Amino acid sequence: MSSPAAAAPVTANQPAGILSGDKRVPLVKVRNLKKHFPINSGLIIQRQVGAVKAVDDISFDVYTGETLGLVGESGCGKSTTGRTVLQLYKPTSGSIEFEGHELTTMKPDELRKMRRRMQMIFQDPFASLNPRMSVGNIIAEPLRVHKIYDNKQEMLEFVEDLMQKVGLNPYYVNRYPHEFSGGQRQRIGIARALALKPSFIVADEPISALDVSIQAQVVNLLEDLQSEFNLTYLFIAHDLSMVRHICDRVAVMYLGKIVEFGPIDEVYENPQHPYTHSLLSAVPVPDPDIERNRQRIILTGDVPSPARPPLGCNFNTRCPVAVPGICYQEPDPELLEVSPGHWAACHRVLPF
Amino acid sequence: MGVLMEVKHLVTRFHTQEGIVYAVNDVSYKLNEGETLGVVGESGSGKSVHALSIMRLIPSPPGRIENGEVFFQGRDLLQLPNDQMRLVRGAEIAMIFQDPMTSLNPVLTIGTQLTESLKLHMGMNEKDASARAAELLGMVGIPDAQRRLKNYPHQFSGGMRQRVMIAMALSCNPKLLIADEPTTALDVTIQAQIIELVKKLRDQFGMAIIWISHDLGVVAGLADTVQVMYGGRIVERGPAGDVFKDTRHPYTLGLLKSLPRHDRRQQNERLIQIEGQPPDMRIPPVGCPFYVRCPMRIEGLCDKQMPPLIPGPESGSPDHIKACWVDVRTGKTLTEDIPASVQAEVQNV
Repeated sequence: MSSPAAAAPVTANQPAGILSGDKRVPLVKVRNLKKHFPINSGLIIQRQVGAVKAVDDISFDVYTGETLGLVGESGCGKSTTGRTVLQLYKPTSGSIEFEGHELTTMKPDELRKMRRRMQMIFQDPFASLNPRMSVGNIIAEPLRVHKIYDNKQEMLEFVEDLMQKVGLNPYYVNRYPHEFSGGQRQRIGIARALALKPSFIVADEPISALDVSIQAQVVNLLEDLQSEFNLTYLFIAHDLSMVRHICDRVAVMYLGKIVEFGPIDEVYENPQHPYTHSLLSAVPVPDPDIERNRQRIILTGDVPSPARPPLGCNFNTRCPVAVPGICYQEPDPELLEVSPGHWAACHRVLPF
Repeated sequence: MGVLMEVKHLVTRFHTQEGIVYAVNDVSYKLNEGETLGVVGESGSGKSVHALSIMRLIPSPPGRIENGEVFFQGRDLLQLPNDQMRLVRGAEIAMIFQDPMTSLNPVLTIGTQLTESLKLHMGMNEKDASARAAELLGMVGIPDAQRRLKNYPHQFSGGMRQRVMIAMALSCNPKLLIADEPTTALDVTIQAQIIELVKKLRDQFGMAIIWISHDLGVVAGLADTVQVMYGGRIVERGPAGDVFKDTRHPYTLGLLKSLPRHDRRQQNERLIQIEGQPPDMRIPPVGCPFYVRCPMRIEGLCDKQMPPLIPGPESGSPDHIKACWVDVRTGKTLTEDIPASVQAEVQNV
């Protein structure tokens, strides 16, 4: 399965997420995706001495019109996954199919055309906007790059219309990013992503840099735009409360692998993997009564380095229920379907 | 429990090229010994600047504490000479910050940085200080403490660095620990570890804590008293249970409603958002800072007159105070609090 061209068939151990009788069409099909960053050593003659396995053999589908959440702690590979799916990083191996086209083997000029259909919203609204460009120019840039409009006036009208749609006053079209607050800047980033009328948007932590009272505004906007333009989102976040609100299905990542995957309510109400369990129990709830009486699973230690993942299950260094033997030896646990559409990669989900 | 600290009419402003930034506008409260106070607010609410003002760590210029008193164990900290204030910082009031990497010196070992305050404030010699430092590291859950003293900050992970900061803060048994967004830069599982550690150390040392955060959930689990700040003012304050369960200010209510919950089903529900943008702190404070965004605002009253921070007539407890002219349950104006001069005006509206 190392050949990127060969899209692997959906086998029993792949969380394609196809519910029985589900006739929805996947917009994005990711199979056995790997992204390893080489670690080089040596001053003059560089030699590869290892690899950071940021994304290590993951497979999933994103259906048209749904929001798939990708959650995990920093360093788990969720952002790398998002960027690799959009071909901003070249994958080490694996296949990514988008609207029926294989992206990993596509020629650069074809890929550029494809990029109109898939866009990205970034986390930091301060770093992702060019401070020397006016808002109008920032939003119009993708239109210029892809030569959508010949007529400048038409383009300007389109940009102003788009600003209106994302809740920005078109009157500010000639202003610069520093004149806007964080929430408004994120709206500019969203307008830029929407300019080419994409069908698929990767939103990489779009609300984590925003104030609490602004987060709900941006999430509501993303949901409104989704229903208006029939958008499909890959929503990358670490805020598990917001993920539950916005996502239809969720994939939990740990050290470059998907450890649990399934419909949102199913995963949150009936978590199967001990990592998902402890992650959910660590999220604070704004209710003092619940907080005082909650039993928390406090994980010990930190996430191991993805350059040196532990032998056996990646979670075994922090797992509260790891058993000697099977959890500490290869092979890694495989994703198993515990209930329709709900997958977990843990030896403990099976009676043994 | 006696009063440990009393802040009275604190006003801090920054005189910048773009004009005066009205960061903290007349903040007053009392903090009891051993009490954990959660200060909640968004960026620009004045929550951090008010804490830095207490510590007299406001960069000056451009910042200036323009008014107020901070009585800490009988002395007004704002009037202390610099050398005496230096003895208070670290020894009696300690502070930890959001980003431990920028608060630790990258070119000194953890041991050097930990023993510095022990030698300065406690008069220990090198040997005693180093033994105490190792003991402190062990207490905050850093394994192999003796050897780790020789390590530099970059050799620790984010969560471990925050533990080092906590060890450093507690090294001189402070009466008050001010924690400014200490878990914001950390992952949730690490955040849970740090909160658990702080709870344990609080019981062990008995210090009072001012925990500053934008995360209502973190504060709910930790604080005895919750203080909500907006636009440089306290808008609501009271026992944690009252503020979260019997909310009396439209801003607090809006925040709580806008938060999705991970422990509840909520498909196809729209989040209830607070409209508008955070306030521009360069505009001089007149009236309620939340006025422009408030769904219950009363024109001619809320934009003209800052409501007093008092227990409203509808309030269940004298400790639960809020600064709002409106009863959030009914949307009716609380006229009995309004000074006679304004009352006539309101009746005309």
